[in-house]
Amino acid sequence: MIKLSHRYEQISCRLTVEGFPDVSSGQGSQAIGILTGWSLALAGHTELEGKRDHLEALLQVVAPYARHLISGAPRAFGDPVSPVAVHPDGSRHRLELRSSQPNTPPMALHLDDAELADLVRCLDQLLLDPRLQLNLQAPTPQPLRRSELRKRVPLGRRIAAPLCGMAALGLAGAVSWMVPIPKPGSFNPTEGKGTSSVAAPGNSSSSGKSAVQEKTPTPGKTAPPGKTAAPGPAEAPAPAPQAQTSQGTGTRPGSSPTPR
Amino acid sequence: MPDVSTALSRPTPLPRRGLERLDLMLLCAEALDLNGGEAMVWMSEQLGYQSLFPNRVELWKRRCHNPLRRSTRRGQLQVQDTDALIRILSAMAERLYPMVRQLLSAAEPESVSEQRWALFRSRLQELIEERLNLRRVGVRKLLDPSEGPQLCHQLILSLALCAGNGGVERLKASLLDPEP
Repeated sequence: MIKLSHRYEQISCRLTVEGFPDVSSGQGSQAIGILTGWSLALAGHTELEGKRDHLEALLQVVAPYARHLISGAPRAFGDPVSPVAVHPDGSRHRLELRSSQPNTPPMALHLDDAELADLVRCLDQLLLDPRLQLNLQAPTPQPLRRSELRKRVPLGRRIAAPLCGMAALGLAGAVSWMVPIPKPGSFNPTEGKGTSSVAAPGNSSSSGKSAVQEKTPTPGKTAPPGKTAAPGPAEAPAPAPQAQTSQGTGTRPGSSPTPR
Repeated sequence: MPDVSTALSRPTPLPRRGLERLDLMLLCAEALDLNGGEAMVWMSEQLGYQSLFPNRVELWKRRCHNPLRRSTRRGQLQVQDTDALIRILSAMAERLYPMVRQLLSAAEPESVSEQRWALFRSRLQELIEERLNLRRVGVRKLLDPSEGPQLCHQLILSLALCAGNGGVERLKASLLDPEP
């Protein structure tokens, strides 16, 4: 049986696969169903050779790497023990190949964007070639997750919104903390009602105090919980001397109010 | 949120960002090829999309769904339209691949490479100023002297990686990316 060889070429890359048709499964005479070996020649680099496992490992890392690169979110593929790994290296791409033979150091190839695109196109041609019936496993391109794309946005822009939100919350908390809390018992809903009738013009003493208490709402609407809204005369506490003058118009002690 | 694993198995319309990127990449193809508009129509006929795009006006109307356009069109673009545009773009990228590769190659002399990039960016800038809404932030970033070159490089790299039939699914998956 004649050994078949198919070649996929780009400007800086040549991928050659060799094998035989799998006659037992009814493949044609020009199809390769049994892979005996493959070689990859990259311009300016050592020629690589391998078996089916190595070719599948190359497909498993280069295809998803190109998928991430086209979205502008490059990341490393392949762990330290896998035969092939690729990761971004500045403006280039570092392709690491580890031999299955013992005591052989890993080989690193630095590819530029054009060389990587050539390699990707060669692998695409290999996968789409109907003459190759190897059933090679290559990952299907999928949309990336939101978390994978988040790295594309600079860190400063990512944390700007949460930082502004936290700063606004802190500022609002500080401002609200500075507002004085009214002391318990200092507010009496009956004062406004009582003083309006008993206020003697000559007893008004403090204009500042009366200004605060002028804003006292009607007792029925703002009665504190647990107290009756309109207590009877027996229950009502005795109004403080100052409270009696709360409805005063800010006149000085001893002076008579000006009639309007 | 649509399930990522099954996004390509069923027809999914392109999101807003995807439409923007697709039209920008077509614009890049036009910047690389002086006769790119005609080439796009010819490629559409070659790929058998005459029923979808019977003339260049129909092709232009589909591209006007890009929100960054001056005269943008509202509404969702049909999946068959976006698929056709993606295939046209991949076929054009394959035709223009030697030029794209020259731009990306680090083996080229630096002065020659800079001249090529400057020529490409000036053509792209002319097309952008002619067709896109210059008040949009995304367009202003493309024309920005500091951010623009990096974005142009990313667009050209995407063109290189989507060239040919093997790049169609890759490009489609990238256009379906969610917003970060």
